Parts: sequence; C-alpha cells; structure tokens
Amino acid sequence: MLRDERLSQYALLTVALALVATYLFPVYWMYVTALKSGNEIVAWPPTFWPADPDFAAAEVWERLQMATYMKNSVIIAVGVTLIVVTLGTGCGYALARVRSRWMDVVLFAILMMQVLPSSLMITPIFVAFSQIGLLDYPRTAVILAQAAKVLPFYVVLTRATFIQVPKELEEAALVDGNSRIGAFLSINVPLARNGILVAALLIFLQSLGEYVYSRSLIQARAFQPATVGLQSFMGPNTSDWQGVMTYAAIYVTPIILFFVLLQRQIVSGLTSGALK
Amino acid sequence: MSAPTSSFRDGRGFDRILVWITLGFLIVFSAFPLVYNVIMSFQNVDLFTLASFDRPFVGLDNYDEVLTRNATQIIVRNTAVFVVLSVAAQLSIGFALALFFQQRFPGATWLRGLFLAGWIMPGLVVGGVWSFILAGDFGVLNWLLQTLGVTDDKIFWLSDPSKSLYSVIIANVWVGVPFNMILLSVGLAAIPDDIYEAAELDGAGRVWRFLTITLPLMRAQLGAVISLGIIFTLQQFDLFAALTQGGPSNGSNVMQYWSWELSFQDYRIGQGSAVSVLMILVVIGVAAIYVRSTRHEHAA
Repeated sequence: MLRDERLSQYALLTVALALVATYLFPVYWMYVTALKSGNEIVAWPPTFWPADPDFAAAEVWERLQMATYMKNSVIIAVGVTLIVVTLGTGCGYALARVRSRWMDVVLFAILMMQVLPSSLMITPIFVAFSQIGLLDYPRTAVILAQAAKVLPFYVVLTRATFIQVPKELEEAALVDGNSRIGAFLSINVPLARNGILVAALLIFLQSLGEYVYSRSLIQARAFQPATVGLQSFMGPNTSDWQGVMTYAAIYVTPIILFFVLLQRQIVSGLTSGALK
Repeated sequence: MSAPTSSFRDGRGFDRILVWITLGFLIVFSAFPLVYNVIMSFQNVDLFTLASFDRPFVGLDNYDEVLTRNATQIIVRNTAVFVVLSVAAQLSIGFALALFFQQRFPGATWLRGLFLAGWIMPGLVVGGVWSFILAGDFGVLNWLLQTLGVTDDKIFWLSDPSKSLYSVIIANVWVGVPFNMILLSVGLAAIPDDIYEAAELDGAGRVWRFLTITLPLMRAQLGAVISLGIIFTLQQFDLFAALTQGGPSNGSNVMQYWSWELSFQDYRIGQGSAVSVLMILVVIGVAAIYVRSTRHEHAA
C-alpha cells in the first residue's frame, strides 16, 4: 500500500515535469535560438540543440545599442515604482482600515481605473500631454501615464496586506502618544513590509516591459525603452533571428531570475490581491 | 491648534488625506483623460487641430464613420472571436492544470509556480519568441504539426489572413494560462477534503465528484476568472504589435489595436477616440459586473 503510494507520487511528479517542460518550451527555444548561428536558425527540420553554439551576447549588446534601451527601461520602471509606492501605500492602508460607504465608493472607483486598457487610454493622454508640452520630456510622460495605469493594482495589493496587520498594535502605539502618521510609519509599514515589497516588485517588472505608452509618446531613439527597441528590429521581414533572440534573452534573463528567486512570495501576493 | 491640523494628526482626516493623494493623481492622469476622450470623440481631431483647444465639434460623425467602414465588421468579429476563444482555452487548460497540481506529490506547489514565468515576461518578448515559433518556412510549430501528421503543408500562421488571428490567440492563451491556473488553484485549495472523502465513501466516482462538488463550489471563482480573463484579453496589445500588426488586411485586427492604429498611424485621432470610448464602455461594464458580484459574495 505504502509502496503503491510512493510509486504513484513519482508518476505524478514525472507528468508534472513533462507539463512544465512543455509549457516553458518557448522560453527554452528563445535561449537555444540565441545560441544558433547562420543557417542553423532556419534549418529544416529544426535542431533542438545548437550544433556549434555561438554566444553572441556581447556583439548583439553592442550592435543593437542595448545599453541605451536597457537604461531607459530601468529609468522608466524605477520612476513608476517610486511614484506608485510613495502615493499608493497610504491609500492601501486607509482602505484596509476604514470601513464606510465613502471608502466603498473609492475602492470601486479604483477598481474601475485598474481595468482601463493602455491602448485605449493612450489617445487622450497623447493629445493632452502634447497640448501642455509634456512630450518634450518623453520619459517623464511615460512614467506618469504608466504610474496612473498601475497605481490601482498596487493599492489593491497593499490593501490586502494591510488587512492582515492586527489593529491592536497600532492602537497601543496611539495610546502611547504616537500620532497617526507616526504609528503608520513605525508600526504598519514595517509589519506590511513583505507585501509592500512584492507589490512594488510586480509594478517594477510590469513597467520594465511597458510598450504602448513608450511606443506612442517617445519619438527620439535615445529615450526609447527595450520593448520599443526590440519591436524596431523585429520588422516583418527580419532575418536576424539570432540577434532578436539574443536581445530577448538578455532582456528577460534578469526578470526570470528575479521571479524564480521570489516565486513563492509573488504567487501568494498575487492571489491575495486578485481575489479579495 | 486648529481643527483641521489636529484632525490630520489624530483623527479621520489622516485617512482621508492618504486616500486623496492617490485619488488626486488618478483624477489627473486617468479620470481626466477618460472625460477628454469622450469630448474628443465628438470633435474633428487630426494633426492640424491637435494643438488647438478650440476644435470644431462634429456631432456623431466619428462614430458614424468608424461603425460604417468596410473593415468594422471584420474587426468586431475578430474581437469577439479573440476574446471568446482566448478565455475559453485559458480557462479549460488552466482549470485542468490546477486540478492536476492539486494532487499531492513532491514539489507540486513549486512546479506550479514556474508556469507564472510565462505571465511575467514582457508581452513584446513573448510575441517575438512566438513569431519565431510560428514562422511559416522554418517555424518549430509547423515542424511539430507535420511530424505528428496533423497537416501536410506548412501553415503560414502570420501572413495568411485566415490564420493570423489564431496565431495571436495561441500566444495569448500561453500568456493567460498561468494566471487562470493560479487563481483556480486558490479556489480548489479552499474546498475541504472531508466533503470529497464523504462522497467517496458514498461510492461517488471521480467524474461525479467533480460535477457535483468541485464545479458548484467553484462557481464564484470561475465567474471571477472569466471576468478577469475578458478584461485582460481586451487589454492585450503587445502581442498584436509583435506578431501581426493587425494584418494582413485586418485579418487579425481587433478593436483595441484598431483604436491605436487610427490615432497613431492614420492620425484620425477623433475616430480613434470614438473606438476607444466604445471599448472602454465594454471593459467597464464587464468590470462592474465582476466587482458587484464579488461584493455580493462577501456580503452573503
């Protein structure tokens, strides 16, 4: 009986590994293609392991000017994360603590703003920003637009975290003579630290891959992020697939590493925010 | 000390200020564009009137124009097909995987989490990788289909107008499966084991238990996942940009891509706004139903 159980566990594990491998095949394919050169890329039938691995990272980084693109992506993602964390953390806390009809209305409004698609909001944002001259600062324009896009998601995630922080600790601090803001910063924020960090990381990773706003608001190549750069090399008649895949691999490897390291926290943060 | 300051330091004023900081930012950068969008959809907006604050109003002309084009019918149908097929496939595959990973075996949770790697990658990179997989002449998907004997000829996924929409759907399902699976796993984990055990003692088979216990108890969760799936699918833009650019000849164009195309490639910005307003109404409608239904569940 016990042996049967062990056996079926290993059978399940084998099936699970096969499922994960099938699902992640596109990621594998990206890395393998990045290592193939010349004719092997378009070989038929395709080869599943490069016959003559060609590591082109340095050459591609130089030739496709990835340093500029990656720098802009990081600037945009950092800017968005700073704005969102500064403005949104307190709101998540207040929505978790205060229960009133008024707060319900606010939460509803925030949830509605969370679902507005960037590709539909970009038209009015582009016109308004160009009228007030904000397009002269293209990266700032993208940061502001993207911050408005992801701020509601951040508020919803941190609200779920603050709900789990016991009220009593804060009340004790208030009795001891702390101000509300003092208690918030010295009790609530440290206790909700993990949730805040995970939410901020999700916002950072999302903004690192932002495309619609950057494509539409940034004209000068020197300010474009990595997504827009990738798109411009990937035209319909591209033949430099090794370049494209190497670019993609360099771009997403840090994201995937982040993710694998913090997988458990990300999964639990996501599920708590999306369903409560 | 004056009343407002003390209320900020000690009382309810503090919570209000925290909320208003966020709301203020969102009113300027989300709510205002939303209203401006509606106004522009009644105006003639192009490159010449772009900078003007006093643009001619044209009534419903923009709506009339975008709703009576030849392409409109194709694009509306594409949008419906894209949403229905993507959500249906994401949901069934996600649910099947969630049920599988619900079983107990070593590493189940960790392996399940790995699926989210697909969800966290930038949409444009996902689109780039899939456009290589789907390539007609040397794409690995065509190789697989030929080897399995599904098709004799190579399928030109991206350049055949009757196939291009499906190429985006395939990539979109790949992106959406992990999120569906994780949310449904949470629901499955909340169903107490003893309900299943009792049913098993009564002689109920696996399929019967799924139909009579799992499905009814997952109703709220399934509703939530379907609504979120529709919302995310209507937000999808990057995959269209990376795979087909809506083409060829609108074969894979959908409303959210068309709106952008009208504004930023044809410079018919008023018309882009009109399409955008119509789609925002759809998205907000779905979201409102979803939020109201989850509130209701909590109250019950």
